[in-house]
Amino acid sequence: MLDIMTAAIEDIKEKAVTFADIRQESHASTQIVVINGDLRRFGRSTQAGTIARALVGECWGMASTSEQLTIETCKALLTEATKAAKANAQYSRKSLDFSSVKPIKQSLWQKCKVDPESVSTEEKLEFVMALDKSLQTDERIVNRNSAYNDTKKIFHLVNSAGSQLEWDEIRTRAVVQPVAREGNKMQFNYDFRGGRTGYELIQAIDIEPFGAECVKGAIELLSAEKPPSGLMTVIADGHISGLIAHEVCGHASEADEVVKKRSFLTNMVGVKIGSDLVTMVDDGTLKESEGSFPFDSEGTPSSRTVIIENGIYKGYMHTIETASLMGVEPTGNGRAQDYNRRIFARMTNTFFDTGDWTNDEIIADTKEGLYVNRSLSGMEDVVGGGVQCSALKGYIIKNGEITQLVRSMTLAGKVLEILPTVDAVGNDLHFSGGNCGKGEEDFIPVSSGGPHMRMEMVVGGG
Amino acid sequence: MDIADIASKTVELSVKSGANQAEVYAIRVKTASTYIDDDIPKIGGFLTEFGIGLKYIIGKKIGFTSSTLAQETPKDVVERAKSIARVSNDDARFVSLPEPKKVSGSPDKFYDSDTAAADSVVLMEKAMQVVNGAVADNVTVPNGSLRTSAVRYHVCNSLGIDAGSKATVTFGFFTAKSQDGDKVGEGVQRCWSRELESIDFHGLGEYMKSQALSVLKAKAFKDKWEDSVAVLAPSEGSEILYSLVAHAISGENVNKRSSPWADKMGEPVASENLSIVDNGQSKHGLLSSVIDDEGVPTQKTPTIEKGVLKSYLFDSYNAYQLEMQSTGNGIRRIARDLAGRFTVPAVCAGTTMEVLPGTKSVDEIIGEIKRGVYVEHFAWPIVDPMSGTFSNEIRNARIIENGELGEPIKHALWVGNLYESLKGNIMVANDPEVHDKRVVPTIAFPGTEVIGQ
Repeated sequence: MLDIMTAAIEDIKEKAVTFADIRQESHASTQIVVINGDLRRFGRSTQAGTIARALVGECWGMASTSEQLTIETCKALLTEATKAAKANAQYSRKSLDFSSVKPIKQSLWQKCKVDPESVSTEEKLEFVMALDKSLQTDERIVNRNSAYNDTKKIFHLVNSAGSQLEWDEIRTRAVVQPVAREGNKMQFNYDFRGGRTGYELIQAIDIEPFGAECVKGAIELLSAEKPPSGLMTVIADGHISGLIAHEVCGHASEADEVVKKRSFLTNMVGVKIGSDLVTMVDDGTLKESEGSFPFDSEGTPSSRTVIIENGIYKGYMHTIETASLMGVEPTGNGRAQDYNRRIFARMTNTFFDTGDWTNDEIIADTKEGLYVNRSLSGMEDVVGGGVQCSALKGYIIKNGEITQLVRSMTLAGKVLEILPTVDAVGNDLHFSGGNCGKGEEDFIPVSSGGPHMRMEMVVGGG
Repeated sequence: MDIADIASKTVELSVKSGANQAEVYAIRVKTASTYIDDDIPKIGGFLTEFGIGLKYIIGKKIGFTSSTLAQETPKDVVERAKSIARVSNDDARFVSLPEPKKVSGSPDKFYDSDTAAADSVVLMEKAMQVVNGAVADNVTVPNGSLRTSAVRYHVCNSLGIDAGSKATVTFGFFTAKSQDGDKVGEGVQRCWSRELESIDFHGLGEYMKSQALSVLKAKAFKDKWEDSVAVLAPSEGSEILYSLVAHAISGENVNKRSSPWADKMGEPVASENLSIVDNGQSKHGLLSSVIDDEGVPTQKTPTIEKGVLKSYLFDSYNAYQLEMQSTGNGIRRIARDLAGRFTVPAVCAGTTMEVLPGTKSVDEIIGEIKRGVYVEHFAWPIVDPMSGTFSNEIRNARIIENGELGEPIKHALWVGNLYESLKGNIMVANDPEVHDKRVVPTIAFPGTEVIGQ
């Protein structure tokens, strides 16, 4: 396959094209969903497609198809991509220099302790049914949702710099979501295990306590109070601090937002933006984390990028293009959802690094505040530097002790005002996996993480 | 081979191999796109995708699989689906795939040939009209995307359904950034239509510029207003209202007991000012079609009439277990992005949610409000559809005091419970707009809070 793709790239006759690549992807996934004890979905999906890109001036053309990969298909895609790039290039203001892109020839296949493909579908089904049973512990649970998913994506990539790459990415996930009802009150809880790993992740789950703890959380939320509102001291757990890392500084550190000066973090390298306790990293090489991979969608090896170090802003996450524009090395952050979508700068595993405090010490040291648990969703504000992070629940802290449970809320504030207020950082690091969109689409697997962190944020909840 | 032939052949192979019932959804999508970056068209794209989704049923055991058929044959796909169904558990709630019903209307009723023919060069020119409308000395267009899709899908099942549909969709998303010294502002505009030519791209750019410049003047909101009214522009109000109502009226959520409206049929759930229909053949709907994604004829289903809950929405799976009929709401497609939809089976979902417009203009509604906020842009409007609670960050709004629009504000949280707010004095304006799978006017939501930062 690589030979066919290379032959097509080498056949490009259009002089205006300064860089081109072709990427072929094959996806296979298993989905099992059990609702209230019934098997609601049991499926195995496959899809495959090929995308070609061509660069003219500073403009790209891209073309993709789900047709079988042949030399003719590849050439047709390159022709279509070139046509689009040339049309756009009438607006081009500069040329991009990709001459420093180094050719890499490598095949990297993920090693799993237990390859999900080697596990029988019966065993996977038994696992999800057991998850469902683990949620069946309280009559107030009116709806039980349990799911298992594994995906295997195989990539082949060649480019005009001479790279020939092939690799795979295997990810496994399990989710439970019980819904509790009492009178007119309805609340849910969820838990999740996932990673770029094989079925060993599933085998390591202690199912009964996993489900029971999640049920307990949903039942407790039925009696939760409305959260307080206004500016206050917040202790974020690892889920929430990870979400803050991702939304607060993650998206704004994606270099495509910087080269066009949209990001509020443009020209901030070397500037102190947080307290000394704040260190933030994006690392696509982390073992078994959801956002890890050997190569990004441009064929650049994944890497570790320090974004904030002891409060000082350090740098951005790059594609080949943004690295070229800023005169640095690409960091392996050029990612696409699949063969139908564009590549741009994206996060991998993004997290605040640990500090010296234990979690108990942070809580005991807080006279009044809100201990916020479990992330729901977030939205970046790359231009204005704001943040919206939604959490499932929290606890009022009074005189160093956890007291009343409160229900879902949103944390907000201005990044450059929040980070200087960080005055306690825990010594345990927790990661949550999920899918990240940029703007409102282009979803890719990532993880975000962090330790417990104390800071000042605005809180509001209904 | 034509997609209808592939669908039909795969159903036939399934039945021959032992399936009691089988259903194939075959879809071909062609998408042209352009991406704006820093005021210029940065990427032009042309994408084509074909795929099938196969539901293979043995008794009450259901196996689902999908394929682009690039690396395998329909026979391989059938064998995989069969192997899944064989080891599957019985789904006790499954009754049957849908029976065929007479489909009225032409399959290409919602297809616009000019939109289907647009390539990335045409889209580039349209997108640059947005840029030209927005760009000024202190305003740039850092991001934008515009795409058109032409979709053809066909559904066959072993009970005799053999129907197809063609449609077109246009979607655009643009942002403008304004700057004045250290102050920055952002305008955000989306456009949705089945017909590319119906969109005023230059006007959209000009409006986005005015939004971005307005935010420059906005001040951070510092107060805390309880019991205030939030007037939400259609883009924001439609999103949050749909998130709540679509969950509550979904037959799937009613059956699995996660809908708070599961036992509220015939009861008032909202103000009498609110009436909502799900219209599978909405004139402006992006998912409008003569059939749903199970091949069932689409229809107009009143869901809330003058505040009273009138109907849930059903796909065949959820309808049959209640001995009811599908309302034509077995959906795979999403309006924004049609690629890859064959990889998932149909789920119970809305087609186009139409909120019946009121008689008053937005200005008249604002004139009746003592204290509140008119919101043009949230970070992203969300609500917990089970509890109804929400807390959304306001990025671009103006305060309302004594019936008049006041100064622009930003950095505030809009907080409340949407189920409770709906029961209050909801006011619906007369300016419906298309946003995603919704046609919704400006709506005023009472009984909420605005919390300053």
